[in-house]
Amino acid sequence: MPAQATARRHGEDINDVFRALSDPTRRQVLERLSRKPSSVTELAAPFDMALPSFVEHLKILEGSGLVRSAKRGRVRTYQLVPKRLHLAEDWLTRQRHMWERRLDQLDSYLLDLKEKHT
Amino acid sequence: MIPFKPDPKLDLVLERVVDVPPDLVWTAWTKPEHLKKWLTPAPWTTTDCEIDLRPGGMFRFVMRSPEGKDFPNIGCFLEVVPNKRLVWTDALLPGYRPSENPFMTAVINIEPQGNGTRYIAIAIHRDQAARKKHEEMGFHEGWGKALDQLVALAKTL
Repeated sequence: MPAQATARRHGEDINDVFRALSDPTRRQVLERLSRKPSSVTELAAPFDMALPSFVEHLKILEGSGLVRSAKRGRVRTYQLVPKRLHLAEDWLTRQRHMWERRLDQLDSYLLDLKEKHT
Repeated sequence: MIPFKPDPKLDLVLERVVDVPPDLVWTAWTKPEHLKKWLTPAPWTTTDCEIDLRPGGMFRFVMRSPEGKDFPNIGCFLEVVPNKRLVWTDALLPGYRPSENPFMTAVINIEPQGNGTRYIAIAIHRDQAARKKHEEMGFHEGWGKALDQLVALAKTL
């Protein structure tokens, strides 16, 4: 059913956004990018982290669609994609999240009940 | 099996498979003492719940916000097929009397799958205006403070 498929794809997008936001380093990067676009070197500077690990964080952010990058010469510059953040404001997304959490609670409660019955 | 075509802008279709028999899923959805345990995502709680399990029978529950504010919900069941399907709405009060502020209809489809159960929860919302009510109820859970700040920043970009 196409409507369902759309809803599911939308849900996956949201999961990527959540995953990207679940890490403090990535959140700090987003906050920096919300001030201005920055190069990898600029972004990495405040962090005591090997560059390859830091680049992994950037890749996850870019994969979630929250940021995009462009390379000019030898410098790759990242910038925020505000539209992606607007997903967070979407009413239906919050509804979905509320239901997901509700059903998560139901499922764990059901498994508890089952244990008690056996 | 979904009895209608969901509108992706207004409706939610959530499908789950859980490793418990269908009658247990049914019980968890239809007994107040169980519903109260899981219906409201923490830190919200369900403080009261009343169920008259028949078409036109009362379905009432009270959700309490983390700040202690109560949000009562009242509606009635439309379809009650034990272990298979439960449908309720807040568009109709008990006894099918039309309500003042309808917000949603919910459909729960339950079917056995292997030793477990596959269930689908469908939330059918009235219209975009009905969204406002839920926003007033403060359903902004799950998005961390960091994101709220980012959204605020993004708006100024």
